[in-house]
Amino acid sequence: MKRYRATIAFVLIVGVLTALGYAAFGPQKATAALLSGLTLAALYFLLGAGLSLIFGLMDVLNFAHGILFMVGAYVGYTVFGNPRLILNTAPLFLALAVGMMAGVRLGRSIPAHRVLPYLLALLGIGVMVWGVWGFPLRPLVAFEPTTAGGAIPTALAQEPLPRMMVRLVQLALAGLLLGPAFARWRREERQTSPWRPVALGVGLAALAVLLLLGRDGLEKFLLGLSVDVRFLLALVAGAATGAALGALVETTLIRPFYGRPVTQIVLTLGLMFAGAELVKFVWGKEGRPPMAVPTAFSRSCRSPNLIAWLTEQCSSIDVLGRAFPTYRLLIIAIGLLILAGVALLLKYSRLGMIVRAGVQDSTMVEALGINVRRVFTTVFALGSALAALGGVVAAPFIGVYPEMGSTFQLQAFIAVVIGGMGSYAGTAVGALVLGLARALGDTLVTTGIALPGMAEALRASPAVARASTVLIMAVVLLVRPAGIFGKSSQ
Amino acid sequence: MALLEVQDIHTFIGQFHILQGVSLEVPEGSITALLGRNGAGKTTTLKSILGLTPPRTGKVIFAGEEIQGRPAYEIASMGIGYVPEHRAIFTNLTVEENLRIAERRRGDLKKRADFIFTLFPDLKRLARLPAGHLSGGQQQMLAIARALVPDNRILLIDEPSEGLAPILIQELMEAIRRLSAEVTVLLVDQNFQMTSRLADRYSMIDDGRTVRSGRMADLLKEPEVIRRYLGAVI
Repeated sequence: MKRYRATIAFVLIVGVLTALGYAAFGPQKATAALLSGLTLAALYFLLGAGLSLIFGLMDVLNFAHGILFMVGAYVGYTVFGNPRLILNTAPLFLALAVGMMAGVRLGRSIPAHRVLPYLLALLGIGVMVWGVWGFPLRPLVAFEPTTAGGAIPTALAQEPLPRMMVRLVQLALAGLLLGPAFARWRREERQTSPWRPVALGVGLAALAVLLLLGRDGLEKFLLGLSVDVRFLLALVAGAATGAALGALVETTLIRPFYGRPVTQIVLTLGLMFAGAELVKFVWGKEGRPPMAVPTAFSRSCRSPNLIAWLTEQCSSIDVLGRAFPTYRLLIIAIGLLILAGVALLLKYSRLGMIVRAGVQDSTMVEALGINVRRVFTTVFALGSALAALGGVVAAPFIGVYPEMGSTFQLQAFIAVVIGGMGSYAGTAVGALVLGLARALGDTLVTTGIALPGMAEALRASPAVARASTVLIMAVVLLVRPAGIFGKSSQ
Repeated sequence: MALLEVQDIHTFIGQFHILQGVSLEVPEGSITALLGRNGAGKTTTLKSILGLTPPRTGKVIFAGEEIQGRPAYEIASMGIGYVPEHRAIFTNLTVEENLRIAERRRGDLKKRADFIFTLFPDLKRLARLPAGHLSGGQQQMLAIARALVPDNRILLIDEPSEGLAPILIQELMEAIRRLSAEVTVLLVDQNFQMTSRLADRYSMIDDGRTVRSGRMADLLKEPEVIRRYLGAVI
């Protein structure tokens, strides 16, 4: 009995919520609310999974997690609306990476010094700023939600080739200077062929130059891509950006402060604000309308059921006489897919095993000879990638706007707290409970509730819908202080 | 030559100067006991060797290489197995996973399975159970088995008999004696009866300093010393 207490609590909560919905709004509206709730739950889950894993393994409350959700959404949207962005930016990142690889090698061969690497890194940051100074950002981020490339002519969207080449050299130099600061942290114990990194570096450098030289042809190709391909590209670019950003934040900002929770909270909170401002600086204060959806979800018609949708590919589907957007079903599907994928990873992979062990005792994991710091970085990057992916998936649903990060982060935090910090299953459950509560709250606002004997339906203000999630958290925490799936001993 | 040599290490934890000059030698193939009262610094010594609480000064030499100051995972992967006090097994993982996570190369567990399951036959039967469901004695066996999975040359075993019933302690002693045929052991235990019968050599620390070391047989001839530093009567 005791073992199943969490499951029983969860079933009870969801059962009560659903029953309330059906009793108050009737099957039609309640089902619609249920589906909306699942959509929100999928997004909360994508954001919360990383939060929970990162907290469980590293004891870091990452208040900057919402930033990754938002940056993922913005980057995905931008790549979707203006895929030539890749041509303008990828070579720069490649040059930086090549320089960095060489710098790390160099840093390993010169004698260790306390200050020198950091002085060099400071210089490197200077050179990096010099390298990207004056880079034309506006044409890159001006894009339309539906068509590729927007209204910007090619000539305006790209700098002259020689200027870009100079930038490549500058960024490679910046990487070279930054490298030694990272050399100390990443000591390779396994010896591989010394030529492999050299070949990799030369390959990446060649790729950067090739991208630039062939950019005219490639641009035509990229702008001619179909909506579906661009959507996939957006997913990949968003998630990859999230992973890279997460790894960067972990190695540079979080790592020096493990075991100092207050510092971490202040740091990540600051990062949240700084990130939001940075997004406003790059993309502007105004949000964008929802991104276009893949073709399978875009025909303006209503399919009677899912089977019919397979051939008709309508933008909405009939649910008990009401239309429900099919794209939201995709969001739910992606949420479920990631839920299952990460669960399998945790259960059956070696990384998953290490994570589960590390959640309990990361010192002992390290004492077994496992580089637990590297696992931390990997998990941080993975969690960040999930959040960023959530952002991209959300872009056709809610659009993008500079406050989306903090808004969704708050909800994801509540979901994680309800489910039990550090518990993966708990996060999924918390997200579900929260999504349902939110959707029911919204329905309460739009349709009101008619209790028997009342002449007019009682309408709630939108504030009530927003407050409902916090209310649920309060109730859950009063009954189970560690959350539904949390360990009460801790 | 000693497999592991600690030379005058000083370790600080926060403000506290815990180890103020600990030196010891563990010859290859021996069981060496690290003796001392509660709070003398035995556990900190083990953690300092492994790099979990790195010493501020002094040297730790393992198989001829200086290892102090390196990250703990690197030190461990050189072939040092750690069996910490309170076992520190992963209770959420199954028994088998607890062993598999200790693999440094794919197939380590398969190679050592016969040896491990002959020492601890119970574990084979319990392989699929969550390790949290095991009894205290079984958990201790698992913690030692875990350290035997990779090719470790030395095991640092901390308080293995703690909280175990006398009959289990007998069993544990037998297991440690048998595994010491294959791997060197540095053993910390409050139970002097047990350590004195197991160990070939000893090193005694008091208040964070090494005060004596030598052959266990010689120490047993000096009940006065034992009473003074350990409070034990034999």
